Amino acid sequence: MGVLSDPKGYWADLTRAERGVVASVVAFAVLLLAGLLTGALSPTYFLFLVGIAGMYALLSFGLNSQWGFSGLINFSVAAFFGIGAYGTALMSADSSPIAGGYLPIVGLFVALAVAGVLALAIGIPTLRLRADYLAIASLGLAEVVRLVVLNERQLTNGSAGVRGIPQFFEGWPVLATLPQQMPGLVVRPFPGTELVLETPFWGALLNVAVVVAFVGVSYGILRRAHRSPWGRVLRTIRADEDLARALGKNTYAFKMQSFVLGSLIMALAGVFYAHLNLFVSPGDLDPVTTFYVWVAVILGGSGSNRGALFGGVVIVTIREGTRFLSGLSEFVLDLGVVALQFDLSFISSNVAPLRFLLIGVLIVVLMRYRPQGMLPPQRELIWPSVVDDPPSKLESGVRGVKAGESDE
Amino acid sequence: MVLDLLASGLVFSSIIVLGSIGLSLIYSIANFANFAHGDTMTVGAYAAFVTFGAVGGLGFGILGLPLGFFVALLVGIVAAAVVAVVTEKIVYDGMNAGSIELLITSIGIAFIYRAIIQMGFGADFTRFDVQTLRPIEALLPYGVRVTLHDVAIVVSAIILVGSLHALLQYTDLGRKMRAMADNPDLARVSGIRTDRVKLWTWIIGAGLAGSGGVFLGLYNQLSPRMGFNLLLLIFAAVILGGIGSVYGAMLGGFLIGVINQLTPVLSDIRFLTEMGAMLPLVPDSFGIVIGIEYANAIAFVIMVAVLLVRPNGIAGEAV
Repeated sequence: MGVLSDPKGYWADLTRAERGVVASVVAFAVLLLAGLLTGALSPTYFLFLVGIAGMYALLSFGLNSQWGFSGLINFSVAAFFGIGAYGTALMSADSSPIAGGYLPIVGLFVALAVAGVLALAIGIPTLRLRADYLAIASLGLAEVVRLVVLNERQLTNGSAGVRGIPQFFEGWPVLATLPQQMPGLVVRPFPGTELVLETPFWGALLNVAVVVAFVGVSYGILRRAHRSPWGRVLRTIRADEDLARALGKNTYAFKMQSFVLGSLIMALAGVFYAHLNLFVSPGDLDPVTTFYVWVAVILGGSGSNRGALFGGVVIVTIREGTRFLSGLSEFVLDLGVVALQFDLSFISSNVAPLRFLLIGVLIVVLMRYRPQGMLPPQRELIWPSVVDDPPSKLESGVRGVKAGESDE
Repeated sequence: MVLDLLASGLVFSSIIVLGSIGLSLIYSIANFANFAHGDTMTVGAYAAFVTFGAVGGLGFGILGLPLGFFVALLVGIVAAAVVAVVTEKIVYDGMNAGSIELLITSIGIAFIYRAIIQMGFGADFTRFDVQTLRPIEALLPYGVRVTLHDVAIVVSAIILVGSLHALLQYTDLGRKMRAMADNPDLARVSGIRTDRVKLWTWIIGAGLAGSGGVFLGLYNQLSPRMGFNLLLLIFAAVILGGIGSVYGAMLGGFLIGVINQLTPVLSDIRFLTEMGAMLPLVPDSFGIVIGIEYANAIAFVIMVAVLLVRPNGIAGEAV
């Protein structure tokens, strides 16, 4: 059933929505490749975009494990992201007011530990609450975290932020200096275009390697966890918490585990961001990040990890793609006979609200017309062997019994 | 100083109360947490801003405010109500979704309102073109610095809240609304046209929010984020008072507003700032200074505490 061994069968096996998503992903990849080869898109910036997309995918995984699997409405995504970023930044950066100078890998574990503690601190009071109360309470507590980061200058540098964060591989044997040692390459895919691959490119490539590793590990863990009995309990809680309780499950403990797991993955995204951007500030804890991630998860399909991956990529396209709009001033459509001239200064001067508008409309349209998202979970929740070899006669037999047509 | 803080707390609470009543009404009758409520306030504020710019002062004034401002206030209320009703008709009405789905949808609506306002007016702060007044002379000896505008805000809020009280207690619509907030199914089988009551709830709730937005603009400044920034405080007020209880929302709004403005008192409490000197084994310099920058954080912590201890709020029934 692989894509490569049997592409036709694979295509025929997909639902309509999956086909649409696959087609648009392929088209988008071709577009990006064309941009790369013609030199319109610099390779280093492209790798930066891949890194950001991976970061959003991690955040979406984290939220998906909370909302998609256990039905927890967590509006404090930005807080965990920020804690992850600040955790590693304060441990490893030169300008850190408290620790500083440690290896980033130490920062990674400190950040995860702090995020775990914060998840417990937020989870213990709020996870007993009704779903909609949890939404409000977690948004409020995220705001408290943001205010603390902004105002406790002696701990976090306040609004000045933390500068001088090292690359993730600082202090590692080979990888730390790899970008400097790699030879500068000049690639000429077409005559006339020239791609220069130098130290920044190799550095960005290493960052992409980090985020791919993070995403891969998280995806693997979540996939395994959600197919396990533990994951089945979570889905039961999401569907009907009273039922799970009637079956003797301590739903509070399960929800807490799911909440902490998701928060750790969000913090992991923050750690990556700190070593990608090399600067963190309280602005990174803005609640709008939370809503971006929500859009990614809803768009992808709540409870679906590959959907979360897809949603993360779409969000980055919206976030970074709208940046290009600010360069537009006018657009001339030359039809030969008449030349239509559009004044686009309105768009270029309103990029930020346009992005908001796009996100808002996306949320409303999705919730109104396709609340299950583009790639709702289907087969991925069941062990593959169960789907691949369906017992051929069972279905008809079950139907017969249901309709009261038993053999006797 | 405390008197002065109490006075500004009273002004700020008037604004919070106007917002929280609408949020509570919609929460109990439309049955979801409306995250677009704050941005409905912004809509009202900017509608009034445009109107005030167009009609100008219109001659004589009341409480330091020209008549044109009250015309603008009215327009702001109407605009907020119209926008909310149109949104309800276009988006929420046909959704047939649970309260969680509606909640998430309302976040999208909030973004849309804010984005459109920001496109029209820019992200910068603006002000109503009214003269800034000096504090009332007669109150200065007591250390209270309030302007006539502040008095106007409080008086208008009292009039609006008073008329809502009269509406709820003495009119047919009010009785229907209370019945529906109590038990929508029962209200429906007793022949109440619940659709129509729901529509009126949106009109009243959003209208009050619009007036709150106008006063917020008068009290501070206008910006596209003003409503969203206030939203969590309003939620705190609604939850403190008890969701679904209009009178609880009034009380909760009053308390949250006053507590919010009283925060400077906290940083003066000796025990908090000199904790290290009093406790053994703790460095002398240790102390918790809760400055004015944590005013909102205190409200959010109160909100979570209320949710834990008394989820039905102070005015609601105990669990």
